[in-house]
Amino acid sequence: MPDATDRWVPSTCGLCYGTCSILGHVDNGVLVKIEGNPASAIGRGRLCGKGVSGIMTHYDPNRVDVPLRRTNPVKGKGVDPGWKEISWDEALDEITARLQKVRDDDPRKLFIQRTTTNTSGRAPFMMFAGAFGTPNSWAAGGGLHCGNGAHLIGGLYHASWSLVPDFQYCRYAIYFGASKGHGAGHVSCTNMQQAADARVRGMKLVVVDPMCNFASAKATEWVPIRPGTDAAMALAMVQVILHEVGAWDAEYLATKTNAPYLVGPDRCYVRDAESAKPLVWDAARSRAVPYDDPEVATAALEGEWDVQGVRARPAFALLREHVRQFTPEWAEPICTVPAETIRRVAHEFATEAMVGATIVIDGKRLPYRPVAAIYFRGAQGHKNSVYNCYAIELLNQIVGAADVVGGALGFNPVCYGHPETGRPWYEPRPGPDGLMITGTWVAPHLPYPIPDPKPPVQMSLSGLFPLGMFGTTMASKDQEDLWSRFNLPYRPEVMINYGANSLLSVGNSDTVAETLARIPFIVSFDLTLTEFSELADIVLPDVSYLEALDSRPNVPFIFNHPAGLGEWSWPIKQPVVAPSGQRRQASDVLLELVDRLGIREEFNAIANTHLKLDGPFRLDFKQRYTYEEICDRELKSHFGPERGLDWFREHGVISWPKRVEEVYWRPFVPVRVPIYWEFLVGLNGKAKAIANAHGLTWDDIWYDPLPHWLPCPSHEVKDTSFDLWGFYYRDTLHTNSFTNENPWLDEASRLDPYSYTIALNAATGRRKGLSDGQPVWLESPHGRRVQGRVRLTETIHPECVGIGGCAGHWAKTLPIAAGKGIMYNDLLEVDWDHGSPVNLNLDTCVKVRIVQ
Amino acid sequence: MVIDLKRCIGCYGCQLSCKAEHGTPPGVFFARVVKREFGTFPNTQLTFLPLLCFHCTDAACVEVCPTGASHYRQGGIVDIDATMCVGCRACIQACPYGARYYHDEQAAYFPGQGLTPYEQRKYATHTTGVVMKCNFCIDRVTSGLEPACVANCASRARVFGDLDDPHSEVSQLVRLRGGEQLQPELGTRPNVYYLPV
Repeated sequence: MPDATDRWVPSTCGLCYGTCSILGHVDNGVLVKIEGNPASAIGRGRLCGKGVSGIMTHYDPNRVDVPLRRTNPVKGKGVDPGWKEISWDEALDEITARLQKVRDDDPRKLFIQRTTTNTSGRAPFMMFAGAFGTPNSWAAGGGLHCGNGAHLIGGLYHASWSLVPDFQYCRYAIYFGASKGHGAGHVSCTNMQQAADARVRGMKLVVVDPMCNFASAKATEWVPIRPGTDAAMALAMVQVILHEVGAWDAEYLATKTNAPYLVGPDRCYVRDAESAKPLVWDAARSRAVPYDDPEVATAALEGEWDVQGVRARPAFALLREHVRQFTPEWAEPICTVPAETIRRVAHEFATEAMVGATIVIDGKRLPYRPVAAIYFRGAQGHKNSVYNCYAIELLNQIVGAADVVGGALGFNPVCYGHPETGRPWYEPRPGPDGLMITGTWVAPHLPYPIPDPKPPVQMSLSGLFPLGMFGTTMASKDQEDLWSRFNLPYRPEVMINYGANSLLSVGNSDTVAETLARIPFIVSFDLTLTEFSELADIVLPDVSYLEALDSRPNVPFIFNHPAGLGEWSWPIKQPVVAPSGQRRQASDVLLELVDRLGIREEFNAIANTHLKLDGPFRLDFKQRYTYEEICDRELKSHFGPERGLDWFREHGVISWPKRVEEVYWRPFVPVRVPIYWEFLVGLNGKAKAIANAHGLTWDDIWYDPLPHWLPCPSHEVKDTSFDLWGFYYRDTLHTNSFTNENPWLDEASRLDPYSYTIALNAATGRRKGLSDGQPVWLESPHGRRVQGRVRLTETIHPECVGIGGCAGHWAKTLPIAAGKGIMYNDLLEVDWDHGSPVNLNLDTCVKVRIVQ
Repeated sequence: MVIDLKRCIGCYGCQLSCKAEHGTPPGVFFARVVKREFGTFPNTQLTFLPLLCFHCTDAACVEVCPTGASHYRQGGIVDIDATMCVGCRACIQACPYGARYYHDEQAAYFPGQGLTPYEQRKYATHTTGVVMKCNFCIDRVTSGLEPACVANCASRARVFGDLDDPHSEVSQLVRLRGGEQLQPELGTRPNVYYLPV
């Protein structure tokens, strides 16, 4: 029936994981405009170029409208599946039969893959995985490239997924491979507004990055750096601050970190004989006492004492001694940043930190440390991602600029809830050895405490590597070798994919396609047929974000809710227009599969926990619920019986003011964070024993409790003909490989000088006899090649080539995207050697040469 | 209008929100962003320059229009009356800022796949064989809204107001931050000012 109304529907953007709040204008049944929703803190009524372009993604004539089944039994990259249309019943009958067999046999044979682009799949698919009983689930590419290190360190130090400078009060921020506030990512639109305010206010921004593009273009100072060497520069800055400037926040270190914990010659804590708690040296009483002894006035940060029969020193003293070797002169040849620049920036950072200063906000006197060191994908997307991020984070920690006014803020690690209900409520709490456990988290396992390593039973081997979220073996060349080595008792038999295009997003597509072709049965929820769908057995037509319902697009708040003072907002996502064709929302389909598989009890139990359903809104284990009903219960559970789905459909969002002690929570919450990773010592011993028993070589250096700069494979390439470092960067116009099919964004990219080209330093290009626009190949030492046109530019380090986004599609079913831009990931090896032996992160910088 | 180049981050939000508001055909941008490099490595500056019709006080396009299709409207907005435009394109030649586009024939954003429901709706409002350009979203402005590019700008780089009123926000920004027109020597007296990076 035609819809003859003219209405604005409040909902949520689904074109990236920033998930800004939107208003969709529907006129006589046609979506004619998408604007930001000014009633929500998430975007504050403004959208990026992608957000306003969602109309063209929604109305893409290449959308899948019916379930499809492959007829060609041969699977491979670029092989035509021979799609035939089938009914939903046929599709679900076959999927159920396959899943039932796997569940009866070994549920771990189910492999669930999600996209990071659309976050609404996270809760339903994680709950389904839990109910089914598989630990094998990942966000394809996302974790390996951008999450394992940055989010781990964000969680350990800030109880949050990511961090930003306190844009309202920060005076000096230094970004390492991050673009917060300059066009993309978590909280993109609100951050853009806040970063612009900070710029006009006069916040100094130093951006350390191989390319001068987004944040670096707006920076007060761009510091070009060689890819993958961030730890070298950061450690040299720590050295300058601790040895040349001699500035640190002793009170913060003594009370909010493990800096005073005494460490023995075995590099482990010296513990109280009775309580086993780490000891600190009480300077006033001249004796060692447990770290949480309430009588301690000042725990010593330096010194050396005989304690329990060993020579014991505070962790801070060890850190100080450890970094002495990392002088700016040591760092310069590694990272190419001149020693004098490193020294100057370190001095500026330490001076601007104003250690000891306080400020009164809302009647409360609070520490004021207006500096922030921020790291993200650029620093973290490497084999050495843990130490890169750890070293940078130390800058915040030594001057006490963490979750205090002006400093580096986690995204909302403390929330005391709506004033009327006190929900959602969470705050970090002290865990083993007094170190912080996050109040809420995004992934199933917390950053801390670190579980004991075990012989791995997951596809990712994460049991042996408890610091990793996802592992390369989910799609690596050597997965079979590693699984055999660790006697993995099963192999993936069924994969359910939600919107990810892992052929483009993980690494080179040949390797990924080989791993997928080995999986006997793949189901894929897709908007359009992608390069990945070509390897699927059944494709199910998904709804677009404009046809979908989700009660929690911005939950948890540590993921994509604006940090800093202001308002809390909990918006919903709801259909702006009704689904066309036979499209069905994946969460509804999953619920049908739950019933068909007879796992309703398990699913409802997990949903109660995962969604924090309470009181009368808990799900009865026996009863069947629609996803709408579950969403309604989640909202009522948090905001009261009168504010269920109907209320949210009308209002779109609920907002309430933040409290000072939520935003600047550090002085109020009794938790400590580790400036010395003592837990790595024990972890190393246990994990190494298991690894060696299975023939895996091991290098202790990756498990040192203090950070180092360790080379990526690209830094060790001996053949000098490979003379350039390749990297990719997040283009403000695109999200992963998904938005390349949007013709408005594609058009903008074609006009942009860099979006679809290979950025090469102009002088380097001229030396090679290249001209602007010339087509070239980039070749890796492993013989992998990608083609594109060079853009000779002054905006890039002379040793580098920079490629925007994750483009270079070839599927005929994506006629707008096909043949545009470059698939940088095709240069990446996906194997053990190119992953981190600590957190399983994939290395994303590659040494290349240009071939004409 | 005032555009603050210190706030602009080149996100293309203006270019694309304008496209979404007006449903402009492929290749037509009433608002667009141009990236330019200055200096040599490592002393490089990358700048983002948002462009649109400057609604000049002495608009060369109005001067050369033989039919009166290009005309001044309330508040100095320069607009085109499509019913009077004969498509001679003299205005495109005359505009020194490249703000005008000739819409020769209807084209689809998904070539060979027909028009999307959105395009069917929006393209019906455009006439072919005429010149098109930004009119400061005059329909939005007369109903009390800001132009689409201003309302959407995520870094709040754009301010719309009355440059004739010395107390308006735009006038104050031009005065306090040293706002400048783009190439004022061309003599058309643009009504868009840029605040320095």
